[in-house]
Amino acid sequence: MKKKKSFFARFYVVICLAFFYLPILVTMFFSFNSSKSLTRFTGFSLRWYNELLQNVEISKAVYVSLSIAVMATVISTVLGTITAIGLTRSRKIVKEILLNVNNMPILNPEIVTAIGLMLLFSSIGMRKGYVTMLLAHIAFCTPYVITSVYPKVRSLDPNLANAAMDLGATPFQALIKVIVPLIKEGIFAGALLAFTMSFDDFVISYFVSGNGVKNISIVVYNMTKRINPTINALSTIVIVVIIIVLVVVNLIPLLARKNTVNMNHRLHHVIGLAAAAVLIGVMIWLGAATNGKHVLKVYNAGEYMDLSLLEQFEEENDCQVVYETFESNEMMYTKLAAGETYDVLIPSDYMIERLIKEEYLQYIDWNLIPNKKNLMEDVQNKSYDPGNRYSCPYFWGTVGILYDKTVVDPEDLKDGWELLRNPKYKGNLYMYDSERDSFMIAMKALGYSMNSTNFDEIEEAYQWLIEQRDTMDPIYAGDDVIDNMISGNKAIAVVYSGDASYIISENENLDYLTPDQGTNLWYDAMVITRDCSETDLAHAFIDFMISEESALSNTEEVGYTPTVESAFEEMKEGDYAGVSSYIPDTENPNNEIFGYQEPKVKQHYAELWTKVKAQ
Amino acid sequence: MKNKLIELKDLTKNFDDQQVLRGINLDIYENEFLTLLGPSGCGKTTTLRIIAGFEEPSSGEVLFNGIEISKLPPYKREINTVFQKYALFPHLNVEDNIAFGLNLKKVDKSVIAQKVGRMLKMVGLEGFEKRDVTLLSGGQQQRVAIARALVNEPKVLLLDEPLGALDAKIRKNMQSELKKIQREVGITFIYVTHDQEEALSMSDTVVVMNNGEIQQIGSPTDIYNEPENRFVAGFIGESNIIEGHMLQDFLVEWDGFRFECVDKGFPENEEIEVVLRPEDLDIVSPDKAQITGKVISVTFKGVHYEILVETEYRTYMVHTTDYAEVGRKVGLSLGPEDIHVMWKMGAY
Amino acid sequence: MKQYKHLIKPYIIWAAALIVVPLIMIVLYAFTEEGNSVLTFSFTLENFAKFAESTYVNVIVKSFRLGIFTTVLCLLLGYPLAFIISRCSEKSQAFLILLVTIPEWINMLLRTYAWMNLLSDNGIINNLLEMLGMKPVSMMYTDFSVIVGLVCNFMPFMIIPIYTSLSKMDKSLIEAAYDLGANRFQTFRKVIWKLSIPGVLNGIMMVFLLSVSTFVIPKLLGGGQYMLIGNLIETQFISVGDWNFGSAISMILAVIIILFMRLMKKMDTQEE
Repeated sequence: MKKKKSFFARFYVVICLAFFYLPILVTMFFSFNSSKSLTRFTGFSLRWYNELLQNVEISKAVYVSLSIAVMATVISTVLGTITAIGLTRSRKIVKEILLNVNNMPILNPEIVTAIGLMLLFSSIGMRKGYVTMLLAHIAFCTPYVITSVYPKVRSLDPNLANAAMDLGATPFQALIKVIVPLIKEGIFAGALLAFTMSFDDFVISYFVSGNGVKNISIVVYNMTKRINPTINALSTIVIVVIIIVLVVVNLIPLLARKNTVNMNHRLHHVIGLAAAAVLIGVMIWLGAATNGKHVLKVYNAGEYMDLSLLEQFEEENDCQVVYETFESNEMMYTKLAAGETYDVLIPSDYMIERLIKEEYLQYIDWNLIPNKKNLMEDVQNKSYDPGNRYSCPYFWGTVGILYDKTVVDPEDLKDGWELLRNPKYKGNLYMYDSERDSFMIAMKALGYSMNSTNFDEIEEAYQWLIEQRDTMDPIYAGDDVIDNMISGNKAIAVVYSGDASYIISENENLDYLTPDQGTNLWYDAMVITRDCSETDLAHAFIDFMISEESALSNTEEVGYTPTVESAFEEMKEGDYAGVSSYIPDTENPNNEIFGYQEPKVKQHYAELWTKVKAQ
Repeated sequence: MKNKLIELKDLTKNFDDQQVLRGINLDIYENEFLTLLGPSGCGKTTTLRIIAGFEEPSSGEVLFNGIEISKLPPYKREINTVFQKYALFPHLNVEDNIAFGLNLKKVDKSVIAQKVGRMLKMVGLEGFEKRDVTLLSGGQQQRVAIARALVNEPKVLLLDEPLGALDAKIRKNMQSELKKIQREVGITFIYVTHDQEEALSMSDTVVVMNNGEIQQIGSPTDIYNEPENRFVAGFIGESNIIEGHMLQDFLVEWDGFRFECVDKGFPENEEIEVVLRPEDLDIVSPDKAQITGKVISVTFKGVHYEILVETEYRTYMVHTTDYAEVGRKVGLSLGPEDIHVMWKMGAY
Repeated sequence: MKQYKHLIKPYIIWAAALIVVPLIMIVLYAFTEEGNSVLTFSFTLENFAKFAESTYVNVIVKSFRLGIFTTVLCLLLGYPLAFIISRCSEKSQAFLILLVTIPEWINMLLRTYAWMNLLSDNGIINNLLEMLGMKPVSMMYTDFSVIVGLVCNFMPFMIIPIYTSLSKMDKSLIEAAYDLGANRFQTFRKVIWKLSIPGVLNGIMMVFLLSVSTFVIPKLLGGGQYMLIGNLIETQFISVGDWNFGSAISMILAVIIILFMRLMKKMDTQEE
């Protein structure tokens, strides 16, 4: 009886631990994959570790995560400890109020804390970035330090500090020589908690950071588009470091017991010195990073640029590029409206129109851009910016249906967008989680203009989407659709042509269709903000991006259709020969470019889209 | 006991809206063993903490060698304290605890070692240098606490109920030892206790406190034999306290009986209270005494019997070595020197 | 000690500025019209009125249903584990608890991505199934995938407090119960369970708080249509740009959570 029970118990423990460790082991395992896939192991390689070392974005993020975590830990531990000590000597009312307030960040959902801090920083006009992130981290770490130190202080004989002072110690000496050594376990536990919370934090950092300052979590979150084993390599290293640290931490007490007290002291010194060295190193690195150079702030969609171009540009112009990415044009606009400042933006057509209308942009001085001659005719002088006074085309394309040739019946393709409502493919398709593109599909399927402001038509489109949602069970995916379609998870997806090109080049079973009912013909372009303080550098940047070499390597990396003639032609013959999505369909008269929406209309669309998703 | 070392002048102390000291005036002399005695909450510990510097008085002065020190922080005073639960530093061993104050003063290491050794010898803990203080017995911890305070050679040692946590037997030993140590180091000890026996057996001067006020200051004998009021009489030892009148100097009356006494200076017919110590009363045959009554209880107390005698007016407690069986009619005899007349107090 | 009383002063200022003021900001935004400025605000209840629409009420209901389900699952799975660990020898206890906590050290997003790779239609699990000759199962973008992600991430927050209260329990109490004639089940129900309730309540609070307000895990494992209250708040701030409505939702969420915590605390004190 007893044996049996112990077997079941063991079995259960193993199952639970397996459940916890499965994702971690998978992460570690695929960091050694020789190919890009995260689901099929093709062979052992250290390729991704090598890439990790070369990835500037990730190594910067590691620095940010580490330095913020170290500083937040040190500051919140000191602040929390002295507060915990002070609390035990305070009047009851003060104590109770402060403890209750202190509990707020612990008991409140993280997202609420994050939003509160974000509102605070933006309303006092603080630039989002390193400092706001550090302040926020201290703010949410300190309460945990207090809760772990306070009970320790309370359990001390209140006369100990008195005794020390009685023996001639100043209050500060009494604190350092008596109180702190006695509560050091609590302090250590609090510091450890603070460090983990800070190092792993995503939600709060996500809301309060900005201006290119990203920690590991934010980088990982923005990586959805082309997720690759580089990040697995990083997490494998993190896991190994954590395990080493935990082993060491658990071994120190054992070692200390064996050796003399002296040894213990020495060990403490060594640890202290090491921590200080790391801290100083990080500070120096941070200080060196922006050493008096000109800084250009670029804001682009995620995974939408060959990042090695940035390094090249930095080198050539002896400047620093702060590069930040957004998930959607709306997100970019929100940040801009909230007072963030950038020099160069790369938004889409309709957003450019809006930015022009709302006077966020300045004219481009084309005299400073000799490479203008490289641009294709097809991409210039479009409705969103006639005469290209404000914008320089970057990439262009369409929105269409990516489908699996082995699954989808060619006959069904004739239905165009209605394919997305064909019950044969129920549960087998991805929609794109974008309000304008989804409504575009419905409008086009219904034969309306995708820029319609007629509320009846909008309502009809809304019903189309609701019906589709109810009958087809679509997934409203983000950029993870790319990985999913490469793996062949579903048969149909709504994607941008550039993503389609990339996906088709990775998975030959797929093909791309732009329905005859018309689609969104889109242009993304570089613009210079009104507040730009580095206009010369901004122009140099635009010129650099449309040079023949840059455009080619950019297209090769990202997969979108370039606006530079030579790159366009070269890719057409090369990597993307025969890939239908590569050449945007400019002939179909039903195709449109998104136009500016009045705020009221926009609000209406946004609400309806939330409702489509929220059911 | 010539030089005043500490003077407390009109000390008051309020915690929030509660007044714990209501005007304390006290002179403390060099080499004196002074005890603050009183029930818990009487303000004795607060007085001690003000002398040590852990509390500031709400008003009044603390003079040390004639200099006002009530605002001086504890670490600048030549005063050390032995705390109620010793407050030894648990992270330091015996030696480091004792050397704590000297280390702060950056005294030379060899000097420290020498002084610590001498202290340990004095408190009888030779060879305990490296011991972990948390593993010592209560009595040993007590000795470490004393050594830790005395090694700094303070002018005054404050002891806050230092024996409270010890069991009865060790307590007795420690009492005599403390007294011995005080003679040896020759400094002023200010001792706080609620135990009257402890106070009487160790002190040169006893200060009886209640309700934030000093009730009486005097030598143990004075306090015992000549309690100034009902509180002191009740608190120190056991006593029969009886209301009566002072008819004239040396003549007192209660329950209709008149007795000669040694007290004088009261107004005629003043209402007073009389203290009769139980051991001063003798049981005699009824015809030999004014007061007569019946024995209602006899308890054997080891050295003596405690006998309760019920009279027409009240019950007297008598301590005597003579046995008297319950129910017997007896008389109570007392001489003039056995009668202590006190001013009557309203409050108690 | 009066000297140290002043040590809390820096934190009083800090807490006022970085805890209290942000909460006030949320309330301020929740009750004002668009304009996103502190100086010019006009009072309105419209943000709350908007929330009363059935779509948004559904989001709340869905979030709470998911939160409760996750919490219950974590309790059902986590209690036995905590119990088993608390019965082990002291050394293995420390080791097992370390094993339970290590995953919490590793970035939650990374673990969630790993689940995406495991669960996707062409993912690792389905590949394995295929190799074994079984039909692949569609697991991603369902309640299942979201719950797997939530339970995997949050279960340690249930296990640790339960384990703590179980390991603190005086073993002689259990022996006493047996001695008094209770069988295994009765002993568990009347002694062990009763004494572990503070830990259980603590765990419930933690897991519920985390799972009801999460937005990353549902977004990654559930897709865009998996809209929970956390996602709703996020979209209001990040893409829609309606900070006032977003603040109103945050405020509602915070108030509900605080009420829930109060309830739990009350239950806790009643138990004692």
